[in-house]
Amino acid sequence: MQQEAAIREPLILGNKSYKDITDDVVGPIQGAAPMGWKVMITISSIIAFYGVGCILYLIGTGIGVWGLNKTVGWAWDITNFVWWVGIGHAGTLISAVLLLFRQKWRMAINRSAEAMTIFAVIMAAVFPGIHMGRIWVSYWVLPLPNQFGSLWVNFNSPLLWDVFAISTYFSVSLVFWYIGLIPDFATIRDRMTKPLQKKIYSVLSFGWSGRAKHWTRFEEVSLVLAGIATPLVFSVHSIVSMDFATSVIPGWHTTIFPPYFVSGAVFSGFAMVQTLLLIMRKTMKLEAYIHTKHVEYMNIVIIVTGSIVGVAYLTELFISWYSGVEYESYAFINRFSGPYSASYWAMMTCNVISPQLFWFKKIRRSLVATFALSIVVNIGMWFERYVIIVTSLHRDFDPSSWGEFHATSIDVGIFIGTLGIFFTLFLLFARFFPVLALNELKSILKSSGEEHKRVQSEGKSNH
Amino acid sequence: MADNKIYWSGLEELDRTPEFERIESQEFPAERPVDAFLSDDRLQRANTGRRDFLKFMGFSVTAATLAACETPVVKSIPYTNKPEEITPGVANYYASTYYDGHDFLNVLVKTREGRPIFVKNNTETGYGRVNARVNASVLGLYDSARLQAPHLKGEATTWSALDAAVAKGLSGSGRKVLLTGTVMSPSMKRAAAALAASAGVEHIQCDAVSYSAVSDAMEADYGRRTFPSYRFENAEAVVSLNADFLGTWGDTVWYTEQWAKNRRPENGSMSRLHAFESVMSLTGSNADTRTRVKPSEQGRVAAALLREITGQGAAVSLDEAVMAAVKVAAADLKKAGAKGLVVAGDNDLATQRIASAINRNLGAMGTTMVLHEQPGLHQGDDKAMAQLVADMKAGKVSALIVDGVNPAYHAADAEGFKAGLEKVGFSVSTALFADETASRCTAMAPTHHWLEGWNDLQIDFERIELAQPAIQPLYNTRQTTESLMAWAGQPVDAYTFLRQTHNAAYTAAAVNTDQDWNAGVHNGYLAVTPQEETDPVFTGADLSGVLREVAGRKGGAFELDLYRKVAMGDGQQAGNPMLQETPDPITKTTWDNYVTMARVDMEAMGLNTYIAQEDPASVVKVNVGDKSIELPAFPQPGQTPGTLGIALGYGRGGNNEAIGKAAYQVGEGGDHLADAEGNLVPIGKNAFGLIAATNGTPGRAAYDVSVVATGETYPLACTQIQHTYMGRDSVVKETTLDGYLAESGAKRGDASWNKTIGLNVHDDINGDGEINALDKKAAGEFDLWHEHAVDGVGHRWGMAIDLTSCIGCSACVTACHIENNVPVVGKDEVRRHRDMHWMRIDRFYASDWDMERGGEEGLGVISTYGKMEEPGANPQTVHMPMMCQHCNHAPCETVCPVAATTHSNEGVNQMTYNRCIGTRYCANNCPFKVRRFNWFHYPGYDKFQNFNPAQDAIQRMVLNPDVVVRSRGVMEKCSLCVQRTQGAKLEAKKAGKPLEDGSVLTACAEACPTQAITFGDLNDTSSEVRATYDNNRTYHALEEVGIQPNVAYLTKVRNTPKA
Repeated sequence: MQQEAAIREPLILGNKSYKDITDDVVGPIQGAAPMGWKVMITISSIIAFYGVGCILYLIGTGIGVWGLNKTVGWAWDITNFVWWVGIGHAGTLISAVLLLFRQKWRMAINRSAEAMTIFAVIMAAVFPGIHMGRIWVSYWVLPLPNQFGSLWVNFNSPLLWDVFAISTYFSVSLVFWYIGLIPDFATIRDRMTKPLQKKIYSVLSFGWSGRAKHWTRFEEVSLVLAGIATPLVFSVHSIVSMDFATSVIPGWHTTIFPPYFVSGAVFSGFAMVQTLLLIMRKTMKLEAYIHTKHVEYMNIVIIVTGSIVGVAYLTELFISWYSGVEYESYAFINRFSGPYSASYWAMMTCNVISPQLFWFKKIRRSLVATFALSIVVNIGMWFERYVIIVTSLHRDFDPSSWGEFHATSIDVGIFIGTLGIFFTLFLLFARFFPVLALNELKSILKSSGEEHKRVQSEGKSNH
Repeated sequence: MADNKIYWSGLEELDRTPEFERIESQEFPAERPVDAFLSDDRLQRANTGRRDFLKFMGFSVTAATLAACETPVVKSIPYTNKPEEITPGVANYYASTYYDGHDFLNVLVKTREGRPIFVKNNTETGYGRVNARVNASVLGLYDSARLQAPHLKGEATTWSALDAAVAKGLSGSGRKVLLTGTVMSPSMKRAAAALAASAGVEHIQCDAVSYSAVSDAMEADYGRRTFPSYRFENAEAVVSLNADFLGTWGDTVWYTEQWAKNRRPENGSMSRLHAFESVMSLTGSNADTRTRVKPSEQGRVAAALLREITGQGAAVSLDEAVMAAVKVAAADLKKAGAKGLVVAGDNDLATQRIASAINRNLGAMGTTMVLHEQPGLHQGDDKAMAQLVADMKAGKVSALIVDGVNPAYHAADAEGFKAGLEKVGFSVSTALFADETASRCTAMAPTHHWLEGWNDLQIDFERIELAQPAIQPLYNTRQTTESLMAWAGQPVDAYTFLRQTHNAAYTAAAVNTDQDWNAGVHNGYLAVTPQEETDPVFTGADLSGVLREVAGRKGGAFELDLYRKVAMGDGQQAGNPMLQETPDPITKTTWDNYVTMARVDMEAMGLNTYIAQEDPASVVKVNVGDKSIELPAFPQPGQTPGTLGIALGYGRGGNNEAIGKAAYQVGEGGDHLADAEGNLVPIGKNAFGLIAATNGTPGRAAYDVSVVATGETYPLACTQIQHTYMGRDSVVKETTLDGYLAESGAKRGDASWNKTIGLNVHDDINGDGEINALDKKAAGEFDLWHEHAVDGVGHRWGMAIDLTSCIGCSACVTACHIENNVPVVGKDEVRRHRDMHWMRIDRFYASDWDMERGGEEGLGVISTYGKMEEPGANPQTVHMPMMCQHCNHAPCETVCPVAATTHSNEGVNQMTYNRCIGTRYCANNCPFKVRRFNWFHYPGYDKFQNFNPAQDAIQRMVLNPDVVVRSRGVMEKCSLCVQRTQGAKLEAKKAGKPLEDGSVLTACAEACPTQAITFGDLNDTSSEVRATYDNNRTYHALEEVGIQPNVAYLTKVRNTPKA
């Protein structure tokens, strides 16, 4: 077994045995649903249904129910899309990149982070679908053989690249997540007493038996998938950013977008993981597994990515001036001084200034402060996309077409609705799925557990 | 006998053949081999098992269900007997003449399958050029609110019953009056004379918008009560004293074309236009100098001009700036001499007489203005009308026949007219609609729409213009002449009557034999022997009284000018949704009238000066004498401080009159709004009533009014909210005539006012031995994408728009609207910036600020940009028609995921509606924002039920069958009228000849009265549009984006006087 320095902070607190871990994770699935869960899922599903209603109204009536117009052809729809895709990034980064770097602290959070990824990507995928004027022919974006005189898609279009990027990303994330779940499903299966539940979990666990051969294959597949998923972390948001970067619109047409979008995505993704986990550890009593150290690690990622994003913002401003291009420089002056400057300054405050607070150890290790700031960061990142999309479009080249965008209740309703759907899915996940990668956690109990470390430091190594 | 009848179904039965009898005896002719079939064991071995059956069934059900989801199929019924002249799919054109009491011109009417769908210029044999009102009038033909039968006391009746009632009505003893607009038709005059002879009916003419003072001034000076015909093509200097002759004043349909002839800088000279006005008019926006004056000062400006030119009269008091402008204008007029012209717009005898004196002193009579002996347009007589209203109120009028006018709406004393009408024994109106006047008359005898009937009209002394029906009358209507003759007791059908007017010997037998007549119908006019005319002789009296009068005019804190808007005119087409939605060329506001005010006045009153989607206008109350009107206030650059402007022609149908669904306001759901009493709410407010309340102020102005804020707000729907072009001179390029002439020999791209935009390259391309900022390559030479192979191969459609000639009149906007079935989306959608116009006219005001001035005054970049957003107080204006630029490197084409928008091999950026999935990425990536998205199902969604023509069962007949009506969720935009280019190519192919330049024009180019738009094949080296590419004024908008458009602009040249 791998050894770890005793002075390193333990990752699993308390004197946990392997059985304790199983009990802590599987126990809630076996038991009755707690009251708090019932209340939360009721609220979130009501919001989800409202959102679905808004979506149906949109599809039934026309895109005109949104506040879009001849000048601003995208606003909340694509803002939400990019925001949700960005949120998804943390899950893949945690499970794939950190796996490759052998970061053990990821084990406590990767499962729910991946679940978040899956649900966020589902929410993200809603928007490119419903933002189409004719969603009923949306399958035309797929390069399918057809009889329309064999019409092909336009491979020049970044929107088409999006289709491939998002669908690849979604399928790889889903498979990766599911592979990780298999041994844990098997553990649940083995503990279930009711026949139906046992049956369901045995189907879900794909006949996992825990043999060494299974574990070897599991490890290999995980590594391979991590290898596949890692480039996706960078490609997906790069491609999303090309929706803007390859256009001619001042404020969109910039080469900085791919790295800027990727770091922004990781930034917002980690913030969302913080938001979700801080609630979950409390309500599901997982304090021993997800604790200050994990939060601190994630906050460090937030400082780093937040600072990259900040540098990107400043670079954009500098380049807009340095380029000497009238339209480009006006686009940025308009961003921070025009009609939508409030959004710009909200973005700047939330994304650049607020994460810098994490330089203070006290704040970085404070769960309350982290929770508050994680929400601030998510608000900031939503505004970032809104600023990029709306302020660039509303005043572009020809001043006669300069316009305004005002959101309607349907714009807001659908966004809130996707939050409702997302939380409903996440709550269902928390209720029926193992929220921690319990079998992986067991692998570090003997190296990073608090009790183990105490014993180790007392010189009574059990080796 | 009947028993002997035998019915038989075949010869076999009749002959009773054995075979027949055998079959007849068996009820079931043959054993059905059901058992054999079922017991056939091959069935068991057949491949189609139960599961296959279920699969097939599943497939069939799904296929049937999917098939049922298709768009409903609209069935068309073929002709049983095809009319000889109609070939489905082929348009017929008929020469006709349009006259609505104001605009008078020759037109061609395009009909498809017997339906008139488009009105265009008759450039071959006709005079005049269509404007937006004429263009869009074809929509009125199909208005379902039109009267569909004669009415008596509100009930539909028959013509014979109506005629009997009129005969009884005309037998009264009081004054009997035929009240019409200006009558231009010889037949109508003959009918009026017949009625006068038989029933003693006198004929009075009144115009909706009175030009009485002009004719009165001519009568005073020359003894001829005639509206002069102005000849702007002969003018070198024009001074407009509040005369919007390019938009609404006088015979604009003639003036625009004439005026533009002298505005071509390539000729080496241009006419110069000086405007003095209070509200920014279309003419003012095109003037070379524009001076802000108050209505009460107009007379003094005229007097000062007269004094400067002739030395006549005493000095008048005017602002220094105004006086300076007067001096400049006077100098130009003096220089032009007989080629100078002063036109005054106010219906004010004093100003008109001074203007007439200036023109006479310049020697303009005979060159820039002609005064015929016979009266032409605008013969309305305000005095006769006032007397009639007085007599009506006194109960002295026993019968009133109203034709072509709507005095209950637009009379100076409409309230008096309405009160008087109740005392008239019998009244009848021939209006198309049960409008404000007709609905108050005893009877309604609706006449034909101008596209349904024959008519003869005379304005010229060498020809009689003919109007011919382009469709059978849709409803049970009757031509006015026919009605009048019936009432005169000499019933005759309108056509025979018309023919007899021009050939007394005409009989029905000669209907097709008169070749002169047939040629006349074909050409749209009959040539007649011109009468000998004598030149007008000045007999005028002394001007001193008039000069004293204008010198003594005093204005109050605020003065009011009642003007007209280009699209709405006098309001007779208020129910026409396309005109309501046509943005005013100056304010860019649709669907409303409002009070135009100077920004300084609005700021002083604390009114909102930023009107946009969610920023409604502040409502103000304007008190004029004992009347008041509440309207939103609109900040109008160029408005004289201390003046207000209100457009006439709005507020039609204040009493639920059936004048068309589109004349009333709708709520967000599309239903008509109703006020507390359940009355429909008209669009805008009627300002005609204010004319009567001006307390003796002549004309359409009031010199002392007050305005107060009400504290309420009202949304206005504007299509443009940014009014300056922010110093972006790659969008708009302009120069002065002097600047142009100084470099008129420069090659395209070299002149200082039209320099090719270069981009720096990292290469020593200028050969100076070093790589530095001087190494620039023209923006058009950069090529990221491979070239579309359009140059020199086949056709390559292109367009050039001369910003110097474009006056912003919006005839192209309506022409495009009708030609391309562009939906009307209503005020609420326009307010949300969702107007669908494929062709729009951008109106830019100059700002007093630029980056240089900001730097000089020490302002930062941000503050300077803020200042540049503000138009100047009296700004210069540019009208820039903007539609899809058909870029050869189109940003929209690369981003469409499904290749729904592509480049044709004729250089046209084409939109495949069927393929579009509606991502709107193309619209976002369009630098000109010309793409229009179908936000809703415009032809079916309730929100548009009350104005979109496609939603009205009758009005949808106006849709162009060559252009598809787009469905919800797809993008649309200018196609360069691809239906026309394709049609022309087919014609050329059939004729076996190459396509001739000029044989195909887009709707906008065809409609343009000033010929600012040139369209043609760029690959045709002899084409006109190709020639413009060598013109040194030609540029592509936003050239540096590298999009290489097929639409070009020609630098605007102003004939600004030297400072």
